[in-house]
Amino acid sequence: MRNHKGITRRQFLGSLAVASAGLSLGDTALAEEEPKRYAKLHDSTKCIGCKRCMSACKRWNKLKVDRFEELTDRETDLTGHTWVVVNLTRDIKNGEDLSYLHWACQHCQKPACAGACPVKAIRKMPEGPVVIDEKKCIGCRYCYQSCPYKVPRFDFGKRITRKCTMCYDRIPIVKPACVAGCPVGALDFGLRKDVLLQAKKRVETVGGYLLGEYEAGGTDFLTILKTKPEDIGLVVAPKKVVSEDLDKIRITSSGFLGAGVLVGLMYIYSRTGEGE
Amino acid sequence: MMHNITQTGNTNSPAYYIWISILLACIVLAGYALVMSLLINMEIFEFSLKIPWAMLVSNYVFFVGSSIGLCIVSSLGYVFGMKRYEPIGRRGVFLAIITIIFGMSSIGFHLGHPERAMIYSLLTPNIRSAMWWMTTLYSFYIVFIVMGYWFLARVELTKIANSSTGIKQRIYSLMVLGKRDESHESVKKDHKKSQIVGALALISGLLALLMEGAVFGHTEARALWYGSYYPVYFLFSSASCGYAWLLIATIITYKVKKEEISGKLKNLIFEMAKIFALLLCVGLLFTSYKLSSGLLDPIKSKSIMLLLKGPFSLPFYLFEIAIGTVFPIFILLYSAKKEKIGGVLTASIMVLVGVFVMRYDFVVVGGVYPLFSPMGRDISVLLPSFFPALMEIYIVGGIIAACLLAYTLGVKYLPLKEESH
Ligand code: SF4
Ligand code: SF4
Ligand code: SF4
Repeated sequence: MRNHKGITRRQFLGSLAVASAGLSLGDTALAEEEPKRYAKLHDSTKCIGCKRCMSACKRWNKLKVDRFEELTDRETDLTGHTWVVVNLTRDIKNGEDLSYLHWACQHCQKPACAGACPVKAIRKMPEGPVVIDEKKCIGCRYCYQSCPYKVPRFDFGKRITRKCTMCYDRIPIVKPACVAGCPVGALDFGLRKDVLLQAKKRVETVGGYLLGEYEAGGTDFLTILKTKPEDIGLVVAPKKVVSEDLDKIRITSSGFLGAGVLVGLMYIYSRTGEGE
Repeated sequence: MMHNITQTGNTNSPAYYIWISILLACIVLAGYALVMSLLINMEIFEFSLKIPWAMLVSNYVFFVGSSIGLCIVSSLGYVFGMKRYEPIGRRGVFLAIITIIFGMSSIGFHLGHPERAMIYSLLTPNIRSAMWWMTTLYSFYIVFIVMGYWFLARVELTKIANSSTGIKQRIYSLMVLGKRDESHESVKKDHKKSQIVGALALISGLLALLMEGAVFGHTEARALWYGSYYPVYFLFSSASCGYAWLLIATIITYKVKKEEISGKLKNLIFEMAKIFALLLCVGLLFTSYKLSSGLLDPIKSKSIMLLLKGPFSLPFYLFEIAIGTVFPIFILLYSAKKEKIGGVLTASIMVLVGVFVMRYDFVVVGGVYPLFSPMGRDISVLLPSFFPALMEIYIVGGIIAACLLAYTLGVKYLPLKEESH
């Protein structure tokens, strides 16, 4: 047992801050404080668009094949049973510059989806994955509406919302299925701090953009782009946490104000013209 | 005799049976759609995989908003003690009950697993989610509003029970839970209780409604919805819906039953029409605020432009602005001045139709336009159609029909009119 006198004032204040942060964030912990945080990395400068990650994901997660997949190189979209897509992107400024983009859940460090789910079916694991509990999901699709990347999709057969799980049932012992399936090393997986370091170096050499370091408050899926996201028509989340709790409280309180005004007006109206 | 209202009226004419059959047919169609969705796939409800919140959600928003609006209007009488509003009190509360129940059924059909919703809302509530607050508060609201009606109608129900025999008597005494006291004392007590329960219903209803606005307002990822606008706007727009429903129901019921509308009620109708017009003007102010503030905001302006000149502009100008707000304001003011009941009825129907389309527009436009979309392409190219799917229409049609059926039966068997003491 640790003697409480041994704790300095500073430590005590520090732990208070952590405790209050923990309180305000609910289940989501701060990423920086997680030494065991992992991350997935996609390097679009290396990707050849073979879509093996897509089929590896389907195989591991036993997902149905969608109709559109029979056509190669057509733009594909996430669905309840396609948790990752690979699409061809074109640099708007320099039309010749093509690259493939592997797109899936970004595993936000403070996921808006988890804050929206009414029944706490979505949790952020300390290792990094944001996972939907499929036995609990009620199929309301609010997570989809809250997600800045429109990731969680409704599976109409199973009547639940599904998405990439960062293969939480494989990691960290085995790499995620898509990473393991990539033939050219365009996907990687490891401790977030290592992955981040490696990605930053790579961005420096190819002169691209690192997506996910700060977007949506930081994500545990990082992407190396050849150019800035807007140059390939990719609209990304702002560099801040999306749908923060304080912001939600601010919005709700204006509703309280509105309700107060309405009741006040009703009261005033009810006092008019009575007693004739 | 007071309780005779529940038995008289030419409700057993052929027209009555035709009306009931049409409603039943609509309900059967909805049942068919529901069974098919269970047998085949829920996908048949969706006209586009990219719009996961569509007509079932907008229909829900429409109905529950109407219910709170009805609660607001009727509570003017029995909570705030406005004698003028008492004649429409019971009808208002009864309509509030059926609209909330069928509104909730709409979201029940939308959910993938409604049964889990009930369990896990209790077991693992997420207090960070506006949706959890909304459903919880609506559950309280339903309890209070049903209790409110009970206290308002118990004496009338007792009178029917006491003056009838056999099975009918048993049913009505079951409805009053065996409390067959007709004394002046008990009437007074009921009145007091209805006031308290009504206040609770009003509070929980308003909170639920603002939380419903917050469900949309909290989603920073959807530009059109995000912000403080909808939690406030919903409150005022629902109040005007409440007026529309009550005016329509009251006027049509009297017309169908070929009963004379008393002078008092007439005065009330024209007063309501004026307040209704005022609320619509407030709504217009809200809309102009939404447009102007939205156009100034670089992120919001894209989804606002979708309303102003995109594929949604027709419903926006025609239904939201013209049919749903501007024309009715003039018609209401004119009819109130010239004392024309028909004008009030027409304007109210127009508003309800306008609001119904507006809710659809609001849910779908807000949902389609991404604040950030991975591929960032032109939205109108990405989306195939904005028109609801056939099965979706069946379900919504069935819900509306069920609501009308419940009201028709309510008029026939329950005391909805207020009697003068
Ligand atoms: S990208 Fe969307 S689904 Fe994935 S964690 Fe972030 S908010 Fe949730
Ligand atoms: S769809 Fe499922 S996971 Fe998503 S918010 Fe609703 S209950 Fe939660
Ligand atoms: S991490 Fe796993 S679930 Fe996610 S895309 Fe890769 S294989 Fe699929």
